[in-house]
Amino acid sequence: MIHDAQLIKQGAEAKVYLAPFCQRQTIIKERFAKAYRHPTLDKKLTSRRVVQEARCLTRCQKAFIDTPTVYMVDVDQSLIYMEYIEGFSVRDYLVTTEGGLPVSQSRLAKEIGQRLGLMHNIDVVHGDLTTSNLLMRQESQTVVLIDFGLSYVSNLIEDKAVDLYVLERAFSSTHPNTEVMFAQILEAYGESGKASKQILKKLEDGNI
Amino acid sequence: MESFPLDTVPEAGEIHMACFTSVKNAADLKERFQAQDKSLTVAMIESTLIMDVIQLLLAANRAAQDHAAGKLKTQTLSSEIVYNLSPTTNIAESLKRFGISESTTSLVAIKIGGEAEEVMEEMSKTVDGNLVSFSKLDQEKDIEKLRKYYKIDPKAKDDKTILNWIIGAMAMKSI
Repeated sequence: MIHDAQLIKQGAEAKVYLAPFCQRQTIIKERFAKAYRHPTLDKKLTSRRVVQEARCLTRCQKAFIDTPTVYMVDVDQSLIYMEYIEGFSVRDYLVTTEGGLPVSQSRLAKEIGQRLGLMHNIDVVHGDLTTSNLLMRQESQTVVLIDFGLSYVSNLIEDKAVDLYVLERAFSSTHPNTEVMFAQILEAYGESGKASKQILKKLEDGNI
Repeated sequence: MESFPLDTVPEAGEIHMACFTSVKNAADLKERFQAQDKSLTVAMIESTLIMDVIQLLLAANRAAQDHAAGKLKTQTLSSEIVYNLSPTTNIAESLKRFGISESTTSLVAIKIGGEAEEVMEEMSKTVDGNLVSFSKLDQEKDIEKLRKYYKIDPKAKDDKTILNWIIGAMAMKSI
């Protein structure tokens, strides 16, 4: 690990550091070993997850979906070096005065819905859609999708519907009175995806 | 010449780089490079394929790391830097594309480790050309070649998008 690295976040799967790397502020995500797993299996699973995360990120990048650029992947040490996004999370934004306004929320909802539609079009399922994993760039105020730690590639309607369901739960549990905003997200989503109508139907039907 | 810290393997020294234009001995340098001449310890790169210094820094970091781990894919640390610039794992093709050719007139010389002054002297002795400032890099990009080599989508228009695409492609080459 780079020696000036500063731990900024610790989750269940990984530690996130901020460090200078190649003349840029860089996010370094380190997946750590799980002591309860057999070492050989752990190594294998961890490196597979690292590769999968990096692939999903670049797959999105190539489809012009704003995600952090991957700078370097170190499979041996389970590290992904990626772009540091200067900005704030949608979660934090929604509790600001500006973020509470219906006009800001519907603009944002439209953008989120479109991004997710595009992401599902290329069969990337995020796996952990929350308002903390949606950032807004400081300079452009546009939405960036982050944390592809649980992401995978799938063309199944169910998987994509679950992705939206997770986001719905995240909205209802962290942001009261955002039902209208979430409905707007789904509306924009419905207009931008290939199979989005079927996915939305699945979501509506429940039992996913 | 400019020197940058080697973030991943600081104990290996710094990354030294210099830009040269009006290079007259490219054919000779290319031959020495291909013959794996051990006395040639400086990597030389076709500067028209460098959009931003970060490409070089990433390639050098990766090379130094693999060198330290004993996992070089090519014969030397210098050739590894050139190889790492390419998005493919085809060694011959990577060295041919990103290394210099007989007709190269502007190049970037890069070396990991060593005292800055000595490296500077070594570079000036090796390359017969004019040492210029790094800002020259911006002026001579071969966008067509970059698009082809990194398989950049025609819809990617602005420099920032193109550069991010290049960086992503380099990062994903080994996995």
